[in-house]
This record gives sequence, C-alpha cells and structure tokens, in this order.
Amino acid sequence: MDQVGSSGSRRITYDARGLAEPHAEVPKVSEIDAGRAVFDAAKLTTRQINLELRWLIYEQGVRDVTVLNPGAKHSIGVGILQRCKIRFAGSLGYFGLGVIDGPEVIIEGRVGWSVCENMMSGVVVIEKNAGSLTGAAIRGGDLVIKGSVGARTGVDQKGATILVGGDAGAVTGFMMQRGRIVICGNAGPSLGDSMYDGTIYVGGRVASLGIDCIEGEWTDADTEFIDRKFRIYGMDKPSSFQKFVCGKQLYNYDNLEPAERKLVL
Amino acid sequence: MSEGRFHGGKIDAEELAGHRFPYQEDIALLDGIDLLALTPGEDINWLEDIHLLQEDGVPAVFDRYSNAFIKIHFAIPSGREDEVARKVLMAHLTAGNSYGIQLKRKHAKFAQPMLGPWVEGSESVGEDWKPATMEGWERPSGH
Repeated sequence: MDQVGSSGSRRITYDARGLAEPHAEVPKVSEIDAGRAVFDAAKLTTRQINLELRWLIYEQGVRDVTVLNPGAKHSIGVGILQRCKIRFAGSLGYFGLGVIDGPEVIIEGRVGWSVCENMMSGVVVIEKNAGSLTGAAIRGGDLVIKGSVGARTGVDQKGATILVGGDAGAVTGFMMQRGRIVICGNAGPSLGDSMYDGTIYVGGRVASLGIDCIEGEWTDADTEFIDRKFRIYGMDKPSSFQKFVCGKQLYNYDNLEPAERKLVL
Repeated sequence: MSEGRFHGGKIDAEELAGHRFPYQEDIALLDGIDLLALTPGEDINWLEDIHLLQEDGVPAVFDRYSNAFIKIHFAIPSGREDEVARKVLMAHLTAGNSYGIQLKRKHAKFAQPMLGPWVEGSESVGEDWKPATMEGWERPSGH
C-alpha cells in the first residue's frame, strides 16, 4: 500500500478510488464469531474493504460488522443492500455509504463529501462533522450528523430525514424535492433555494432564504416528528424551530409528463 | 409508446405483471404486515415518505423499485390511508412482485439479495452478470 519515497515522505501507491483494482480479491481477514465480524482496514484498499464487507454480509450471513481503521478512504461501504449493522471505528473520505438500502451504520469519526448519496433506506449516524453534499439525492431513511455539515446538504433530496446537530453550510436543501432536513444550529445563505417540496427545520439563525423558500405553518405533525426523531437519536433539541417549505411559485410540473412527476416520488 | 404496457405513457404494477395481485383487492390480506419489523431503525424509516396517492383517479401507492404505481381497489378506511398504502407496498415488495426486483435476476451487476433488504435469507443474484448481446451485434472475433 503505502511506500516511503526517496525524500522520506509517504506516498500512496494504489488508486484510492478503487479504479485500479479491477480484479481485487476478497481478503477474508475478518474475525467472525456468532454472526458478528471485525476486521482491520488499515492495510486494505478501498476495493478490498468493500469486497470484504459484501462477502461478510451477503455470503457469510454476518449482520454486525465493525471496521477498524477505515483511514478516511473514499467510497467505503457503498452498495450495501441488506439489513445489517456496520460500525466504522474512524472516519470515511468522499462518497461513503452511497446507494445503500437497509443498513444501520455508525461512523465514529468524520466523513467527506457526499456521504449517503442516493441512500434508499436505513439509518446512518455520524458522530462528528460531514462535508459538502451530505445526503445528495437521498431517497429514504435517516441520516444523522451530530456535528456540522457543509454546503448543499440535501441537494436534490427526494425523501428521508437529514438531522444535523450543528450548523449547515450554504444552499442547504438546494432543489430539494421531498423529505425533511432538521438543523439544530445555524443555516448558511440561500437555504432551500429552488426547493420543489419537503420541509426544513432550523433551530438557529438563517443567513438568508433561497428562491421560493418560505416560512411554513407549524402543525401537530411537525411536533410529533421532531420529538420522535430527537428521542430516537438521544440528541439535545433546540428550544424552538423555524419551519421552511416551498412557496411553489416555481412549481411548473407539466401534466403531460407523468414520468417527470414519478422521478420525485 | 402508445400501446401495450406503456399505454398512454403510464406504467402501473398490474400492467407490468399482466394481472392484479390479491392484496390490491382485499384489505384482510394486509393484517399480518408489521411495518416496524420490515424497516430499519426504531420507526418506519423510509416508509415515512410513502403516502397514499392517486393514479388514473384510483387510490394508489408508488413503488420506487419499478417506477410504477400499485392501484388499490378496495375501500380504504378513513384515517388509515397512509398505513394501507405502506402495507400494500410492502406486500408487493416482500412477495417479489415488483417488476424492478424481477429484473435483478438478469440485470443486477453485483451480488445482492434478490428481494432486497425486506426479506431475511433472500437468495443472492448478480454474482455472474454478463452484458447482454444483441443478435447480429456480437463483438468481432479477436475483440
């Protein structure tokens, strides 16, 4: 994996995106005991980590996996389409946990850009901060970030709940189409810009609202939803929230295009 | 696009299958469905985004796995609209009747549970995917 160069600096000799290993084999390095598995990812490549996860979950029937030393590698834990529990004892890099359907995941560290892109269902809890584009195009499940998130969190969101314990960056909820974003702290400029639908709750200050994002009317259903999610994830709830929704001034679905309508369902 | 299963530009589950399914017509068949047990986490998770809609003027629930509506042909008790919609959808998915799921056997490109995350012990498909080849469009020998 890593080599020490002539200058003494360490350099990575594999493609961290996993593209340079079309024929990687499952390392089978896990300790498996009673349906649980643990493996150390420190010396594994991205592709090997993902192959090990799929081997454990799909072929060995393991439903509880702990990954030690994920090392902030990119594209880890993608495409897991099974109910299971995964714990990453460390941080993930870019595009972690994309296109998952069913897992319940805990990340003890931070994550880079685009975590849980296109997530279909499941629960992902990130103990620290997340980068930009968190939950991009997410469709279902709960994505909980106990720290802060970067810009364009929930861009193109088509469902799901994104719960942020800290602050959110600029243009959060950009082109959001359904689902819910809950921000306990402050929200950056252009919140909910060009959103089609969905709901954004903010506990702190909002720098500015984006185009066609307006304040919404609070209902009992909002109270039930907020209370339930904060109870489930054991997080401190701000004393009050502002609710934001789509003003629907840009709402121009064409009735002759039913396929377009289905894209957001 | 004007005839057959794409008639009128609409796609619904019974058109894709060529028949209706029993749970579209009999609410009693939904009695044993436990939505909490079928979804990850401590609430109904992704089903929170599933609501009763309408297609062609008929109550329907949308199946995102086949981009199609499942119409509901029985009377839905007032106040239970979303619950019934979610149960019809889960009956459809767990039975493996979703057209998108049926396509997995031929088109899944990596190993995954055939029935998705809703059914424990579902067979695995996609381990041996090969690209489809159109007759007369095979690669020339040597390529």
